[in-house]
Amino acid sequence: MEVVVAPPAPGKLEDLKRRFFATPLQALLSLISLAIMVFLAWKLLNWAVFSAVFTVTGGPEACQAAAGACWSVIAARWRIILFGLYPFEEQWRSALACLTVVVMTVLSCIPAFWTGRRIAIVWGAGTGLFYVLMKGGLLGLPYVGEEAWGGLALTLFIFVTTCLIGFPLAICLALMRRSELPWISRTTGLIIDGVRSLPLISILFTFAIVLPFALPQWMAGDKLYRVILGSALFFSAYQAEIVRGGMQGVPAGQEEAAMALGMSYWQRIGRIVLPQAMRNALPATINQFVISFKETSLVVIVGFFEILASGNAAYGTGEWRFAYVEVYAFIAFIYFIFVFSLSRYGAFLERRMAVGER
Amino acid sequence: MNSGDSSKSGGPALRIENVDKNYGTFQALRKVNLSVERGERIVVCGPSGSGKSTMIRCINRLEQHNGGKITVLGTELNDDVANIDGIRREVGMVFQHFNLFPHMTVLENLTIAPMIVRKVPRAEAEATARRYLDKVRIPEQAMKFPGQLSGGQQQRVAIARALCMQPQIMLFDEPTSALDPEMIAEVLDVMVTLASEGMTMICVTHEMGFARKVADRVVFMDAGEIVEEAPPEEFFTASRNERTRQFLSQVLGH
Repeated sequence: MEVVVAPPAPGKLEDLKRRFFATPLQALLSLISLAIMVFLAWKLLNWAVFSAVFTVTGGPEACQAAAGACWSVIAARWRIILFGLYPFEEQWRSALACLTVVVMTVLSCIPAFWTGRRIAIVWGAGTGLFYVLMKGGLLGLPYVGEEAWGGLALTLFIFVTTCLIGFPLAICLALMRRSELPWISRTTGLIIDGVRSLPLISILFTFAIVLPFALPQWMAGDKLYRVILGSALFFSAYQAEIVRGGMQGVPAGQEEAAMALGMSYWQRIGRIVLPQAMRNALPATINQFVISFKETSLVVIVGFFEILASGNAAYGTGEWRFAYVEVYAFIAFIYFIFVFSLSRYGAFLERRMAVGER
Repeated sequence: MNSGDSSKSGGPALRIENVDKNYGTFQALRKVNLSVERGERIVVCGPSGSGKSTMIRCINRLEQHNGGKITVLGTELNDDVANIDGIRREVGMVFQHFNLFPHMTVLENLTIAPMIVRKVPRAEAEATARRYLDKVRIPEQAMKFPGQLSGGQQQRVAIARALCMQPQIMLFDEPTSALDPEMIAEVLDVMVTLASEGMTMICVTHEMGFARKVADRVVFMDAGEIVEEAPPEEFFTASRNERTRQFLSQVLGH
């Protein structure tokens, strides 16, 4: 009998040689690319760390003398970036409010909290706490109106409330679009397509500026909440199509089996169709969340100072004008933390939901 | 056995009278008549596209009939949703493609409907589920997901799932057609056991051995009509109908 032996796996060095240095030309290209990468990495590191100024004591002058990044602008202006125009003495409240949102989000991402009651408690308590902390007016906290909210807290608030309102709305729209009654499904389709055909900016503008003229005073509410409603509507139109797509991926036999067991419409939707549809729709849903998080920056158009606009203000005042790159790098880093955690969480969910799939 | 039928005791389990079903211009059922007594085992066979599946899907209103009258356990099927849900609770169904819920464990598949539809407490629902898993001979698979089981095992779970609702009638829609040949026997065995316990069964199947063994009556359908209805010996050996004899020669021929 002939014994077949697999060829020995190539060593690390051997593998490297095969991939990048197979021919003289390839070797040359590899070396040139490597040199460019090393050069760029060195330049970046030198700018960001070795030649950078970190201390705030020297002020802007110390920065201008140095060749590297001026991180002292962050040290001097981080409060404006994170809290915007929120009163200086009360900014601890804004910080706590941000923390509340983060804790609330983290909690609701843990599978142990995925029962209707627990989620409701977490979100009810969380948003309530956020609102009281930010707005004050009771428990001895001085009142701070929505027009003074800003920075990271405002960005988080707009994002979270957009999702909180937009997500259930999206599911309603998706279900209505699937309705067997043509007048419901057609009307819903028209609404979804209508909202999707408008740019977000025009929706925000309409809700913030135009709507108060059309609505009676008592219905108009604060501008911030109208803007959130507008962005939730926009979110839900896109998310509804994502949910609908997920539902189309659930075989018809699933709903039939649920029907045959005597489950009612809401039981079939809630227990059988939606859980599977959301699993199908997960990657696109995470994508939509990420897009929505970044689109919160558009509220600057109607006069809100979310984190990006606050960053603008942080370097905009005279002395730090030259340090805009550092400010934007800092803001980019904050965006990155949130968006990256979101996508990592999405990956965790996908792994978790893959349990039981062959 | 049938202790749940206090209100409508007596009377046939099922009566189908002059039922029509159209899909657009295509007529899937033409003036179908069938009556099934309690405890009777009916096997429905016929060439593909003959309306067998459509007929049994009309019984629990997965399809809506266009004409005629269907009475299940004394209740007529109409547009009343409460009526339909009530009938579906009493009529179990097993599908060709199992249709187990892939996002739930086997045990959850078995307990969900009793818990949320019949409001049975969890402990009781789980005890019932384990008993039926024993009965279909896969007690050790309770914590697995459907995707981890073989086709034959999945179909037995599907049978157990339907039984957990304690139905009075069981419908089988080609339960073995999607299975690999070596798994057909294990599913048929479970169905034979069920039949021997007096369950009212309506089975659409091409398993003629099964029909011969358990059926009280064999119903042959072709082109949306019931062509012949006869006890198995008569059906297989002395059919008077040309279309039946042709079908049988094709099914039993080799």
